Amino acid sequence: MAKRKNRNVAIVGIGQTEYSSHKEHQNQPEMLNEAVRAALADANMTLDDIDCIVHGNMELFEMMHQPDMWHTLGSGAFGKPQFRITTGGTTGSTIVCAADNLVASGMYDVVMAIGFQKLQEGNTTGGITNMADPLWFRHLQTGALTGTTAELMIHEFGEERAKRAAMLYRIMMDKHACLNPKAHRRLGLDYSQIEDLMNSPKLVGELRLIHMCSQSDGACALIFASEEKAKKYTDKPVWVRDHITIHREESLPNIFALNRPEMTHRYAARKLFERNGITDPVEYFDVFEMYDPSAWWAVDWLREFFLLKGDEHIRMLENGEWDYGGKVVINPSGGVIASNPIGATAIARVAEAALQVRGDAGPHQIPKEVKHALASGFGGTMWTVLIMLEKYLDW
Amino acid sequence: MAEYFGSRVEDIFNTMPERFQPENVAGVDVRIGYSVTGEGGGKWVVTIKDQKLNVEKVEELPKCSVVLLAEAEAFVGGALGVVNLQDAMAAGKLKVDGDITILGNVLPKAFTPFVPVIRAKDIIDSMPARFLPEKAEGVSMKIGYDLTGQDGGKWTVVVDNGSCTIKDGLDSDCTVVMSMEADVFVGLNTGKISASSAFSAGQVKIDGDIGAAGATAQFFKKFEIASDDKKGEELISISVVNSINQRFATGPYMGKWFAGLKEKKFYASKCPVCGRTLIPPREVCANCRVRATEFVEVGPKGTVNVIDLVYYASPDPLTGKVRSTPYAVLYMSMDNGTPDEMFSHELNPKDIDRVKSGSRVRPVWNEIRTGGIDDLLYFEIDD
Repeated sequence: MAKRKNRNVAIVGIGQTEYSSHKEHQNQPEMLNEAVRAALADANMTLDDIDCIVHGNMELFEMMHQPDMWHTLGSGAFGKPQFRITTGGTTGSTIVCAADNLVASGMYDVVMAIGFQKLQEGNTTGGITNMADPLWFRHLQTGALTGTTAELMIHEFGEERAKRAAMLYRIMMDKHACLNPKAHRRLGLDYSQIEDLMNSPKLVGELRLIHMCSQSDGACALIFASEEKAKKYTDKPVWVRDHITIHREESLPNIFALNRPEMTHRYAARKLFERNGITDPVEYFDVFEMYDPSAWWAVDWLREFFLLKGDEHIRMLENGEWDYGGKVVINPSGGVIASNPIGATAIARVAEAALQVRGDAGPHQIPKEVKHALASGFGGTMWTVLIMLEKYLDW
Repeated sequence: MAEYFGSRVEDIFNTMPERFQPENVAGVDVRIGYSVTGEGGGKWVVTIKDQKLNVEKVEELPKCSVVLLAEAEAFVGGALGVVNLQDAMAAGKLKVDGDITILGNVLPKAFTPFVPVIRAKDIIDSMPARFLPEKAEGVSMKIGYDLTGQDGGKWTVVVDNGSCTIKDGLDSDCTVVMSMEADVFVGLNTGKISASSAFSAGQVKIDGDIGAAGATAQFFKKFEIASDDKKGEELISISVVNSINQRFATGPYMGKWFAGLKEKKFYASKCPVCGRTLIPPREVCANCRVRATEFVEVGPKGTVNVIDLVYYASPDPLTGKVRSTPYAVLYMSMDNGTPDEMFSHELNPKDIDRVKSGSRVRPVWNEIRTGGIDDLLYFEIDD
């Protein structure tokens, strides 16, 4: 059984900037402020209604320590309690978990979480490489790029089917991104281009440029409120049902070993679904906003998150079951391959999932009622955060 | 001539000689082919050898180290930094055939960034915006420009009653007509050529009222590069390069590891509960949550399990240098080690074409070993 929350918490305000490769027209606090204003307007609130702010990004990218101090003018944290959180790629989901905990605990009634990144102001691959331990592994790491998943999938499913699956997923994501006016990369790809796109430049092994996520600038802010306050401010609260964070020992050498541990994604999903009584996640969830840094990882991870076996995840992809009209729509926003402002990426997954639950996603809204949504965060070597959202308070 | 974002494909090649940085390309020997499709496109070959540059427009591309195939708009936009090259590649508007690393490793060093070429027409067209009506009160005159050579043309600037307009062609009743090569006109306006030397060298010919010719300068603000683009905005980017000296303490476990490397030995720690060997050694087995106090020697040879073949030229954060590609990172099962954990290191580049899962490999040591990461050069196939 899930540990019961002290009190229910809902998302009542959602604000995102557009995501793009450059934001030369804004400095960092100005960029945050755009998302903060949008979230406040969405919640029919002013800064006076916010009790506390949670702020997060990955410091290594912009090489700016304690950016929350500089950002105070943009975040609106002046005179308010503020927490700063940075947990790598999962930062955006960790600030969501923290904001939810702060409200559920009764400490604060209304908390705003803000995630951001301006990758254009630093060096992404250099920054990620600097996350590896400086004594040994930093010497060997290449940012977040690895071709090992592609190699393992080709070994398991055959070269043709595996490569085709990764490209099907990639094109599906681009088609979704093209419906989302806030998405960074909207390339206009088509399924007729599959063969041609397979010649995209190689990055690592069979991981090619086309498969990999973008480097984006952008910010996302969410406002969380207690049940009592939520019902006062909105008639469309999105309930945060549960979340789980799983960390593994920071080590690629055991992930790529002959004997492999259970992936944190599967472990997290298994635990989360067990304690919430969900026996068939594919049937249960209407939408999954997944932190999918590359098309290869995305396809592989779908099997883990939905506790599938063998080639079930690939068959579902081939049959359109992850697309609009299918069983679970994956990333109607276009996902991380389209937009990746790293510190905002995982909170944007929650924001997009919540928009779907509310029915307010606009051109990329799923054309049916969305009751149950799942969002993931990913970071470190293999760290997982899963967040469940609900339309109704009926669980 | 087709322009994209105000520049032409040929501008990029024509400006290469002045943007070339010979001091940065010692030892470089490459031939880069360009095939640019669309209006204003064509084929060019850029050769860099012995710190000399040769740029040639060709009908057919010869054999090149790398060929860049691009749509004209993406090519010019990429050079100007207004089109994201990765996006253009992903969209298939830009393709690379051959050794892609040359583009990332050589080109940024060999050339300063391309900036838009200023043409005579740009300067003429900007005159109404630069006109100072208060300086030309009561003045009525026609100034003709007859600019010869590439990108030349004939224009008449009409100053009348506090207004300034531009007409194509030379009016027959011009107060004064100034004739010169178009590039001399551009040089005079951008400050690259001094007026006195141009006049004394006879590069500028004046027909009509010489006094009127001299007066024109005071009716206009000076031409400024890209002054129109940023009008009313103050958007400035500040460049910062961080260089920080750092020292990291190893602690006793990694200390033992580095001391072992000096003696050409690999020391792993061993979990007393699950028996897993941890390499490099760690204080705790994170699976069993117990101290791993025992050390065992593993290797020195091993068997390759997983290979990451890296084509992406990333910066080495320890040195700031861009790594040469391709290179291979191995995940190896070390002899006497347990199958729960691989040892990871690089492969001797000479073996890249024949390494596979299951290959036996041996370490190659540095002659001089100081107890650091450089003690171990790489692994190579053991045959």
